[in-house]
Amino acid sequence: MSQVSAVSARAVRKDVSSGGAMLGILTGVDLEVPAGQTLAIVGASGSGKTTLLSLLAGLDLPSAGEVWLDGKSLNGLDEDARAGLRAGRVGFVFQSFQLLAGFTALENVMLPAELAGLSDPQGRARQALDQVGLAERMTHYPHQLSGGEQQRVAIARAFCGQPSILFADEPTGNLDTATGSRIIDLLFNMNLAQSTTLILVTHDVSLAQRCDRTVTLREGTLHDC
Amino acid sequence: MTASALGYASRRLRRGWRSGELFILSLALAIAVAAVGSVDLFTERVRNALSQQTGDMLGADLLYVSRAPLPPELTAQLDAAGVKQLPLVQFASVAFVGEASALASVKAVAPGYPLRGQLRVSPQLFEPATPTDTVPAPGHAWADARLWQELRLQPGTAVKIGRIEVSVDAVIADEPDRGNGFADLAPRLMINSADLAASGLIGPGSRVQYTTMVAGPPDTIAALSTQEMGENVRRIAPTDARREVRNALQRSGQFLDVAVLAVTLLAAAAVALSARQYGEKLKDEIALLKCMGARQGFLARALLLQLGLLGVAGSAVGGVVGYGAQALLANLLGELLQLALPPPPLWPLAAAAALGCLMLLGFAAPPMLVARRTPPLRVFQRSEDVTGASRGVWLAGVAAGGALLWLATGDAKLAVIVLVGAALTLASLALLATLLVQALTPLRRSVGMSWRFGIGNVARRRASTVAQVTALGLALLALLLISVVRQDLLLSWQKKLPPDTPNQFLINIQADQVEPLRAFFAERGYPDLELWPMARGRLVALNGDAVTADSFPDPETQRWINRDFNLSWSAQLNPDNRITQGEWWGEAGRGQRLLSADEYAIERLKLKLGDTLTLDFAGEQYTFTVSNFRTVEWDSFRPNFFLLAPPGAVPDSVPAQWLTSFYLPKDNRALLRALVDRFPNITALDIEAMMDQVRGIVDRIIKAVEFIFLFTLAAGLTVLLAAIEGTRTERERETALLRALGARSGLILRGLIAEYAVLGGLAGLVAAIAAQTVAWVLAEQVFRIPYGPRPLLWVGGTLAGAVIVAALGTWSLRRVMRTPPRQVLQ
Repeated sequence: MSQVSAVSARAVRKDVSSGGAMLGILTGVDLEVPAGQTLAIVGASGSGKTTLLSLLAGLDLPSAGEVWLDGKSLNGLDEDARAGLRAGRVGFVFQSFQLLAGFTALENVMLPAELAGLSDPQGRARQALDQVGLAERMTHYPHQLSGGEQQRVAIARAFCGQPSILFADEPTGNLDTATGSRIIDLLFNMNLAQSTTLILVTHDVSLAQRCDRTVTLREGTLHDC
Repeated sequence: MTASALGYASRRLRRGWRSGELFILSLALAIAVAAVGSVDLFTERVRNALSQQTGDMLGADLLYVSRAPLPPELTAQLDAAGVKQLPLVQFASVAFVGEASALASVKAVAPGYPLRGQLRVSPQLFEPATPTDTVPAPGHAWADARLWQELRLQPGTAVKIGRIEVSVDAVIADEPDRGNGFADLAPRLMINSADLAASGLIGPGSRVQYTTMVAGPPDTIAALSTQEMGENVRRIAPTDARREVRNALQRSGQFLDVAVLAVTLLAAAAVALSARQYGEKLKDEIALLKCMGARQGFLARALLLQLGLLGVAGSAVGGVVGYGAQALLANLLGELLQLALPPPPLWPLAAAAALGCLMLLGFAAPPMLVARRTPPLRVFQRSEDVTGASRGVWLAGVAAGGALLWLATGDAKLAVIVLVGAALTLASLALLATLLVQALTPLRRSVGMSWRFGIGNVARRRASTVAQVTALGLALLALLLISVVRQDLLLSWQKKLPPDTPNQFLINIQADQVEPLRAFFAERGYPDLELWPMARGRLVALNGDAVTADSFPDPETQRWINRDFNLSWSAQLNPDNRITQGEWWGEAGRGQRLLSADEYAIERLKLKLGDTLTLDFAGEQYTFTVSNFRTVEWDSFRPNFFLLAPPGAVPDSVPAQWLTSFYLPKDNRALLRALVDRFPNITALDIEAMMDQVRGIVDRIIKAVEFIFLFTLAAGLTVLLAAIEGTRTERERETALLRALGARSGLILRGLIAEYAVLGGLAGLVAAIAAQTVAWVLAEQVFRIPYGPRPLLWVGGTLAGAVIVAALGTWSLRRVMRTPPRQVLQ
């Protein structure tokens, strides 16, 4: 059923234990994201957007229902098998950048290419950093970079492994409006250039409007806007 | 303000404990106190037991010796102390068997003798000796081998002393209070004290030595050992016992001190590491508090109060654990150590708690107080950090480290050597780590992905690599140092007491018997028998001024002056002698009246090079000039002398005797019979029993040291864990991110193993080099044993470091491997 979809979810539930009782974060999510589509997931704080993102990316498993990533079902795959599925297919941009503190910008960007076993990870990383305008900051460590620069490194890292699907969790959440706007331009431009499927979690309505499609997470289920 | 600081400090402590932030710091402190406390407690108990053990060599815990029966007030004191007492009387008397006679040292003993150790006797000459709990019955006597030989005794031979005759029915092989001045003493005849009055030998004017043997609990003995006494009574403690045993004890004491130093250093390293990590974690919170108006004074008080509360709690827990650990270990190992351990004193626990507090002040307070200076700007910009504080932290650490080492050992020289060694190691580790980072960069391009990640991690985290290698290296250094020193100690002792160590001494050899004796031994497979000449002289003048015993204030010197000095002469220096000042005369000294003095003679007579000593040899007086000082290894079991002169310095007219020593295998006792038949006047002394006793003590010391080595190993591994734990949060984040990016757990595991193997190998290599250097200094300066380079240790240290750290790191971080990747989104 999901052969043409980059990401699919069917009747996905996620329950968590809270004070001895089970609390349903997601109560039945169905989603189809065709390859190349850009999708924004919006919703109030605590609505479960990040939980849904982690399930779609295979970072976690649902309590019930099924998720397909790049046509492959994640159900029944252990942690390692899911990691293997992500390598080379999936890129991430996080709200808090998630750069490794002991690694230079170049080394951070090289990581996905190395993990995917791609040739010349360093050359690819240099090129990606050049694309985000940080060719001069390759040997800098994260603490030597501003927030906007760190997120640009994260975007370079996300695209360095040439993923087919990109997940972004509040990519401008830690940035000022002007910087956030530049970052989003960069993200969408690179996404367009590489024809990547983009699934974006955001509060930002203007950002959501730049996507092909927007869905709202409310009371544990998705609603098309 | 202090009340609010206390409130904040206690809330912060509770929160820190619940969140696990303070767990490592508390654990490190508790381990520090427990480790130092238990080692100190156990060491103290072992020391007490060992010194009690040397009571075996005294026959008692204390001896009171006098020329008259003990004064009533001293007897009353001993009665009041409730100690066990046993009087014995010794005097010289001529013993007769028919027409034959010999001067004997008679000892009258009562049942119960000796209070410590054992008397060993054999029914006949040259038969195996067995321990006995009895003493000669009234009317009977036991004699040593020398008297049996001199008087041609047979079992049941009647020996007349004074007005009584006693029947000799055993050979004394070993009596614990014999002492080592065998060449000066007449052969032993032991009788029952019930026969003493009838002998008529004790009367006014007779030269009698009254001895009261005392045994009791260590505390009581310690109290008695410091009590004031009259001038006419001499008190002898185990530490005054045989010189070779004293040396062995002194050396083992130094070794145990090194073990305590290692534990102290390791514990301090663990505290320092944990506090640094805690200080880092505090920075965000402190920046926030400052934004809300907290002043530095408030923060300093709050931080110090946290440390104080932590110190009390950690010391208490550590003290209890330490006490329990030593009790458990003493129970487990008491039998193995073959030592009856006295109850532990409590003071080492108080000292350990004080050390714990000092550790907190020196190693935990500085990095935490540095965090207090975090600028509030950090809430906006994490790169805003404290600068210029690291020098103070280092200085505080070095000062506290020195104080800890000094407190732990009470030996400033040892503490300085170890501290300098540690400082050099830190510098070497830092330098090598930096070089390796550069060396690793090209290397990781040519290895597999796991190794590339592992080595890459080491290479990329330059500062943290240096810090971790330093910490791990310090722990490995302590472990290697203990193992190196332990090995050297064992080897040194084994070298000193090889299986063919002389076990027989021959004395009373006359000048005309020297060559026939050499021939006798050459025929029997001893081609190189060494003989030492000896003349007995009495000191009559020092630097031209007449001296008597009264010229010297201390009783030990007085006793020494009262005896004849044994002066020997030689052109060659014995291998167990070492010149410390001046020069050995060699062949050039022949005929010159020069003198070489050993440490004991130097100390007793306060000698300086160039001093002159006038000795009286049976009426002939000669003056000698002190030309060099020597140290003598008295535990070599070779004949040695306090005073030596060049050949020809003592004229032939002075009566001289010769002595020698050799090793006689147990199955070749026939040689002794042939010797006695051929040279009836030569006396053979069997010192096998005495050597067995020394060997037994050495064995026990080694076992004690091995136990403490195990404890040090445990403390070292804890430091490794603390260093690894410090990276846990970062690793969890990294693992989650790497898994989110597609890394499989096998890759992460292999990368982790590679990283820790590289770290451990590095630390092991530098630690091995540093351990060798420190061990060499210790061997030369403290233990005074020979020491050479051990390249194998470098290889072994590197491999051991890699394996231990990789295994421990992987085991410790096994849960990190399972960090779910969704954590990156949280």
